[in-house]
Parts: sequence; structure tokens; C-alpha cells
Amino acid sequence: MRDVTESLLQNYLAGKMPDWRDVAVTGLHRLPMGASRETFRCDLAYTDASGPQSLRVILRRDPPASNVDSDRRHEFEAYRAIYGHGIPVPKMILLEEDASHFDGAISLAEDLRGFHNSEYQFQDPAWADRLPHVAREMWTTMGRLAAVRVEDLDLSFTRPATRENTASQELEYWVANLDSHDIGPEPIIRAAIRQLRRWQPVAQKLALVHGDFRAGNFLYDDEGNLKAVLDWEMAHCGDPLEDLAWSITRVFSFGKNDLRSGLALREDAIRLWEEGSGMTVDPKALAWWELFICVKAQAIWNAAAHVWTSGQGREVIHAYAAWWLRNAQDKSALELMGKL
Amino acid sequence: MKPDVSLAVGELAHLLRTDLLAELTGFRANVAAMGAAMLDMVAQEWDGAAARLVRENTAFGALVARGADLYASPAPGGGEADLRISALAAENDRLRGLITDLMARLEDDPAAPAQSLLADIWTALAQTVADRRIASANF
Repeated sequence: MRDVTESLLQNYLAGKMPDWRDVAVTGLHRLPMGASRETFRCDLAYTDASGPQSLRVILRRDPPASNVDSDRRHEFEAYRAIYGHGIPVPKMILLEEDASHFDGAISLAEDLRGFHNSEYQFQDPAWADRLPHVAREMWTTMGRLAAVRVEDLDLSFTRPATRENTASQELEYWVANLDSHDIGPEPIIRAAIRQLRRWQPVAQKLALVHGDFRAGNFLYDDEGNLKAVLDWEMAHCGDPLEDLAWSITRVFSFGKNDLRSGLALREDAIRLWEEGSGMTVDPKALAWWELFICVKAQAIWNAAAHVWTSGQGREVIHAYAAWWLRNAQDKSALELMGKL
Repeated sequence: MKPDVSLAVGELAHLLRTDLLAELTGFRANVAAMGAAMLDMVAQEWDGAAARLVRENTAFGALVARGADLYASPAPGGGEADLRISALAAENDRLRGLITDLMARLEDDPAAPAQSLLADIWTALAQTVADRRIASANF
């Protein structure tokens, strides 16, 4: 697989954008973001009919193998769907699905600089007094996302869902994913799957579910104000409780305590989400989605291990994530099933 | 090997974190940090891995044998007495597969012996999760 270089991107853009002259790409470097896609940052300058222009750009490239079954178009369309609907996200610039240019599809997006996105920074004692505000920003934003009417969004990029079938559909989607990345028997997760198949909740409403909304996947400023929600590659139409359940799963308790996403107690996170969404959480439905999250998450961690085991890739983060997270995910499932 | 593998690998992780990481930024720093964390996991796992797998396999084997007795099934047999990690892990996978199937059957059997065996399987699984806990895990 070729390296993404300034000259490669520069030559591509010069050919792709006939109205751009004097295209220059500088400062390109890879960012330590996420396990599923390669992410690069660069500065872009060009001249068009309006005169000299400059852009700060994020480039994401699909790798040959990933722990998340998604692609550039899916995330690109998810960003475009929610842009302008009250949830802060970067603006999309360009999608290139022809893999011949960069040995993988790429997307270019607006780069919002000067902010943070580290889940670990919140564990710094210097941030302790700002955690309640960050928590409010995170879960009320998630609640506002839940409240957006799906009828107002173009969700043609994702699998259709109904309030009645979304729980079952998501479960079977991730079970299939788990099956296709088999790395050995999973007695705990298989028991969780059987339990989840016995009953599924009906969603109060359909929403654009982000799919990976947690600390580490949003930008925030020095005061802890949320500036943009990132990483929409698992976005889909579904039950908004899925996002809430994902954000409070034990595995993302980055402070190794009871603060979910390293920010707030479970009951506080739920209260903030309810405040943002205007909905009331059904405890039985949320409990179902929390256990579902263990299946979904384990499928992703197993896929990371499978990428290595099958020889499809050797990104360090894939091995690290599988080693670090699989047993904790089993423990989380045990707790939710009352077996810990 | 001398010096002790856990000691050497743990020190390597420490050096990577304290000396090399400071010289790196961005993506490379992140890779180095994950590498150091993985070496820490290896240091933790090295000494006890074989003992843990033997312990798990013994417990799982006994539970599977109880299931065979309960349903008058042929005894599932045991793996070779090979103490290499790879062989123990393969036997562990085989037994976990049998445990998975047995649990599905027990869940549909309300009889007291079945439910008692199911409860014991859950206890064994919880023990394995406790034994496998990574020191740096969030939970």
C-alpha cells in the first residue's frame, strides 16, 4: 500500500479540480486517531475564480482490512446527512471512491484545529473541575441527536429500519459480524446473544445513531465545550438508546472507576441524555441495549484480532485493542447478566 | 531465560515509555505508547499463562464431563498433556466450544441438576474473567 504523500494528494487534486490552479499541499502527517481508518492532516492552498484560497483538511483513507465494516461513502454520507441539523460536525469536502488513486478510497473534510479529542486528558487532575461540564456537553448533544427527526435527514446511505425491527436487525447484523471474524468460542457473548434474542425493545423513535459516540470521538475546547462530533463510520438509522448504551459501557470507563466515558456516573449520563432528547429512558430497553453493546463491541475487538490472525493487516492498534478490551468486554457482559 | 522474561519485558516497556516516547510525536508516539502497553501485558501474562490455562482447562473439562453424565452423552475426551501455550490455548478453545453448546442446552432444561450445572459454569466463567484481567484494563 502506497504512503499518502503531499505530492500524491497535490497531483490528484490538480487533476480532479479543473477550476483550481497552483494547488499546494503542505504539512501532511498522520494523526493517532481510531483503529479503523487512517487519518491525516494537511494544509491545502489553491487559486480559483475568486482568488487565492486555503483550507485545513482532514484526509481519511480506507485500509485494505479494518476492524469496522464500513467505507468512505458511508461515513461521508453520514456527515452530510447530519450537517446543518444542530449537531456540530466538520463539513465534508470531497469523496474519492476510486481506490486506484490512493490504494484505498479517501475523503477530505474540514479540519477544525485548536481543540482536543483525548479521552485520557479527562483523567488529568487539572481537568477534574471541568468534567461535569464536559459530561453535560457530551450527553445533551447525544440527546439532541436522538431528537432530530429522521424524516428530515437523507439516510439513504444506511440500512433501513423501523421502530419495531431495529433492535433485532442490529443484533443480527453484529452476530453476523462476530461469526465472520471468528477467533475462537465465546461462551459468555454467545449466552448474551441467546438472552438478547428472547426479547427486543421497540424504539420510542427512530434516530440517526452515531454508533461510536463516546469520549475520544468529539472535539472540545479548553473550557470543555463540545465543538464537533467525529467518527460517524458506524452511523445508521436505529434506536437512539444504542448511542446512550455505547457511551456508558464499562469498557469506556477510562478512569477505571464508575465514571462512564471517564466523565459521569451512569445515572447522571442518563439524566443528561433525557434532558437533551426530551425523552424518558425505559430502563428495560436500555438494559437490553447495554448488553447488545457487549456483542457489538466484542465483534469489533474480535475483528481487530482477526485482521492480524488472518494476515490482512498489522496495525499495532488492532492487536492492542484486542488484547486490552476483549476480557473487559466479557466482564461487562457478566455484570449486565448478573453473573459477576 | 535469564534475566527473567517478565522483568526484562517490563523494563523494556518502561524504557520505551520514558526514553523513546519523549522523542516522538503524533501517530508514532501513539504506536510507541501502545507498544509499551502491550509489553506490560506480556510481562504480566508470561509467568502465569500456562498455569491459568491448565486451571481453566481442568475446570472446564470437569464441567463438560458433568454435562456428559447428565445427558448420557459420550465423554468428550481430553487433549494431550502438552504444556506449550499454543497447545493449552487450543484445548481451551475446544473446551469453551463444548461449554458454549452445553450452556445452550442447559438454559432450556429447567431440571435442578441442569440449573445447578449451569450456575457452576457461570461461576467458572466469572473466575476465568477475573484471572485474565489485564492490569491496565478499564474494567
